[in-house]
Amino acid sequence: MSKIVVDSLTKEFGETVALEDLSFEIDDGEFAIVLGVSGSGKSTLLRCMAGLTPPTEGEVRIDGEPVTGPRKEVAMIFQQHNIIGDITAYANALTGSITRHGLLKSVLQLQNPPEKYRALEALETVGLLDAAQQKARRLSGGQQQRVGVARALVQEPEVLLADEPVSSLDPGSSQQVMRYLRTAAQDRDLTAMVSLHQVNLARKFGQRFVGLRDGKKVFDGYRDQLTIDVVDEIYGDIDTEGMFVVETDDGTETSSEQGATH
Amino acid sequence: MEFFIESLQDFFPVTEVVTIGDVTVYGLAVGEYWAFITRPDQPLLFDPSVAELLWTDPVTFFFGELGIFSVFGQAGITLAMGVAGTVIGFPLALFFGVLGSERVTPFPFNFLFRGTMSAIRAIPAIIWMLILIPLAGLGAAAATLAIAIDTIGNLGRLFVDELEEIEDGPIEAMEMAGANYPQKITFGMLSQVKSSYIAWTLYITEINVRIAVTLGAFGAGGLGNVVEVQVGLFQFTNVMATLMCIFVLIISVELFSQRLRSRLRSDEEKMGFAELILGFPDRFAESMLK
Ligand SMILES: Nc1ncnc2c1ncn2[C@@H]1O[C@H](COP(=O)(O)OP(=O)(O)OP(=O)(O)O)[C@@H](O)[C@H]1O
Ligand SMILES: [Mg+2]
Repeated sequence: MSKIVVDSLTKEFGETVALEDLSFEIDDGEFAIVLGVSGSGKSTLLRCMAGLTPPTEGEVRIDGEPVTGPRKEVAMIFQQHNIIGDITAYANALTGSITRHGLLKSVLQLQNPPEKYRALEALETVGLLDAAQQKARRLSGGQQQRVGVARALVQEPEVLLADEPVSSLDPGSSQQVMRYLRTAAQDRDLTAMVSLHQVNLARKFGQRFVGLRDGKKVFDGYRDQLTIDVVDEIYGDIDTEGMFVVETDDGTETSSEQGATH
Repeated sequence: MEFFIESLQDFFPVTEVVTIGDVTVYGLAVGEYWAFITRPDQPLLFDPSVAELLWTDPVTFFFGELGIFSVFGQAGITLAMGVAGTVIGFPLALFFGVLGSERVTPFPFNFLFRGTMSAIRAIPAIIWMLILIPLAGLGAAAATLAIAIDTIGNLGRLFVDELEEIEDGPIEAMEMAGANYPQKITFGMLSQVKSSYIAWTLYITEINVRIAVTLGAFGAGGLGNVVEVQVGLFQFTNVMATLMCIFVLIISVELFSQRLRSRLRSDEEKMGFAELILGFPDRFAESMLK
């Protein structure tokens, strides 16, 4: 049971208004996607939901409780990865379970076998089992990003917040990671909020969408409501040819004709 | 002028090398230095009688009064004071350094720790030793404690400064993962400064060996003490020989710490301790050629 309520949220950084009177609700178990151009406030929104950035006005409620700081039931995948460079990929994945162990156990890696197995499983899921023993600092950007995903999965949260979790990945790996996030959300009954840049990925994996522009909500709805006009509204008048891929009933992907603006 | 040259000869003794006809070639009497450096009752750099123990009585060799340091004679005493001072001071420097950071201890309270370190730094190591003499007596113990205290002030300060530079990202990530306060500090903060903390600690070790030379001249023993005694005896050849040993000691410590650092940095190719020492000459030559 993790319903998220964003209630007239406003966040200002000095003169900059990053979020302006934003309100929406994400139902328990929903896989929601935030869309918006660079600077539209996606990260700020997710950070407010995570309790890392205090809102200027309004509040976020998870399970009816106002968010005032980080909670162990809420996991976050960061846009800047934020993994610990000086330890291995495996040790990073293990830090996801940090809340279930004391300082000494977590430093000496004395977690019980199921916990260690879970970390390895998460690394396997994101395709990093081979790199498990490498120092995180030496991994490529995409690999580091996947370590961040693995860490969030090991945490076994109830709410998963992901800030552009596939921004450093190639199209193949992006699909894989997105597919895994959605599967994990379904299997574990998570409520997820993911920000994305790629409209086709968003359409493919998302159920629920929130569109941001200049910190204001310009769209809030489900997949069938996310039409090309809505995408235009979120991203401005851009050439969306080839970007608007819809999955037809027989499973084949076709570039929708209405996607071409000229 | 003549006096100057004469006294210079005290430092640099001269001996006849060869005589060809009327011409006599003079050279530096290296043998005189060597004789003092290897004097059996007070070897400066290497004590063969201790080295023998490695075969006859290894327990004493490793765990005797000064441990393996005593194999290095007087230099070993100096080295032991510097190293032991660092080892004792390090955990306290870590304690004060970490708690002195505003990231760890909220604003007014962190100054409790910063202030303590400033106070320690205000007093030089030599004064600390003089203060400690009534407690520990004049000798290596007082010097070691003085160096340990000095280390808290200086190394702790470097630790604080290093913590100011770290990134928020990993700290926030640990907060999100539900880390408790000590875990947040260990994983989020200390993991970011680990290698620079090691580097600073090695640097302070080098400095501490130098301080140990100075404290030695004030009665703590070791090479510094030898210099002081020989100056008193007007044995300037011996003084010069001792200075050479100090030079060898300091350079060795510096090279050793430099090698150790690059070893710790390159975590890929893990190298054994033996190779660190055995592989040393050619890698030294390599870096000299660059
Ligand atoms: N800590 C901060 N201090 C000042 N301004 C900030 C801060 N964080 C964000 N902003 C501003 O808030 C606005 C929204 O930024 P945000 O990072 O949320 O955008 P975004 O949608 O995540 O962009 P991107 O897709 O590039 O990651 C921007 O104008 C940014 O300059
Ligand atoms: Mg962002």
